[in-house]
Amino acid sequence: MRMTDGRRTTCLRFLIAGVFLLFAVRASAHAETGVAGGLVSGLLHPVTGLDHLVAMVAVGIWGAQLGRPAIWILPVTFPMIMALGGLLGLSGLPISSVLVEFGIAFSAVTLGLLVALQLRVPLWGAAVIVGVFGLCHGHAHGAELPSAVNPLAYGVGFVVATGLLHLCGILLGELKRFSAGEKVIRVTGVLIAVLGLGFVTLNLIELF
Amino acid sequence: MTKLRPIIWIACLALLPQTALAHLVSTRFGEFYSGMLHPVTTLLHLLSWLAIALLCGIQQQGYSKWALLLFPGATLFGALIGSWFLHPEWIHLVNIASFLVGLLVALALRLNPAAFIALLLVFGFSHGFANGEPGLRGSEFVLYVSGVAAAAYLLMTLISAATRLTVTQAPWGIVAVRAAGSWIMAVGILHIGFTLMIPAGLE
Repeated sequence: MRMTDGRRTTCLRFLIAGVFLLFAVRASAHAETGVAGGLVSGLLHPVTGLDHLVAMVAVGIWGAQLGRPAIWILPVTFPMIMALGGLLGLSGLPISSVLVEFGIAFSAVTLGLLVALQLRVPLWGAAVIVGVFGLCHGHAHGAELPSAVNPLAYGVGFVVATGLLHLCGILLGELKRFSAGEKVIRVTGVLIAVLGLGFVTLNLIELF
Repeated sequence: MTKLRPIIWIACLALLPQTALAHLVSTRFGEFYSGMLHPVTTLLHLLSWLAIALLCGIQQQGYSKWALLLFPGATLFGALIGSWFLHPEWIHLVNIASFLVGLLVALALRLNPAAFIALLLVFGFSHGFANGEPGLRGSEFVLYVSGVAAAAYLLMTLISAATRLTVTQAPWGIVAVRAAGSWIMAVGILHIGFTLMIPAGLE
């Protein structure tokens, strides 16, 4: 089989690129290393854990359902409370990881139900509910911090990912402006609660 | 013979190899750009400067203009001093404390002028000091510290202008700025905790 000129040129380019790859060295262009690795692992931590993901989206949806000022107070205060939870994880205080995992699973159940039932609570009540769950989520993220390639970049990653998940939730919650959208939101709430129940069951199975 | 001539020339040149120094990694873009890149490629400085610029964008316009001069000036002074002295540990602690500016942004606080100026001068100096480069002398030193000050000026001008525009033009602007402040504060809480709680070497 004869190669066309174009194909031969492409093969030659890949060959040259391959040869250069064999001589790859570390760039070491800046004193701060591991930023990319830390950032990516931080960004992925809340996204790849389904329990974190659904709970964070639920916070955003519930904030949108409650309207002003909860729509912006909850997402603004949540990262800071979550960081305080991260400090608890860092401090190595003897808080059972089982308790934290159950807290995270229950956050999905509770927030899912609040969204599905469209429950309205006073702002301080919403802040307490979200704050307690924020501590649990933060604890789980914070416990991973010392093992990160670059702890600062990891922190940036998981805070930004959490904030963006809230934003997704708020955008979903804004569907309430449409009659069909309201149903979609309530069904989403039910799904989140069901997933949460699944996480609780899995935790119970692991425990016994 | 004519055909052989270029080959002989190439062979002669090949016998006289020199280091090319043509790559930007080894030239480091020159000391001015090295100075500019040093703070903006270090998350500790970048995030704190972002918080200060966001705070500047939500202050009264008369006061926020001062920041464009005072912050780069303090950074330049800090970089000059920091290039001549050893970096004490407290400078690092002051720098990580500058994450707390994120809380002021999250609260959308308008500071009184004296407090705002003090904040600009203290954090400008401490971040400039940490960016000092002791190994440089002469024109390289001047270029480097000018680069650090230019980075402070550019970042402060662009981000504070963008913040003011967002806050005044978009109905969601102030919420976005407050959220950005809370994110920086959250990262700061974690970094302060990590620095104080985890002994070096155990991470």
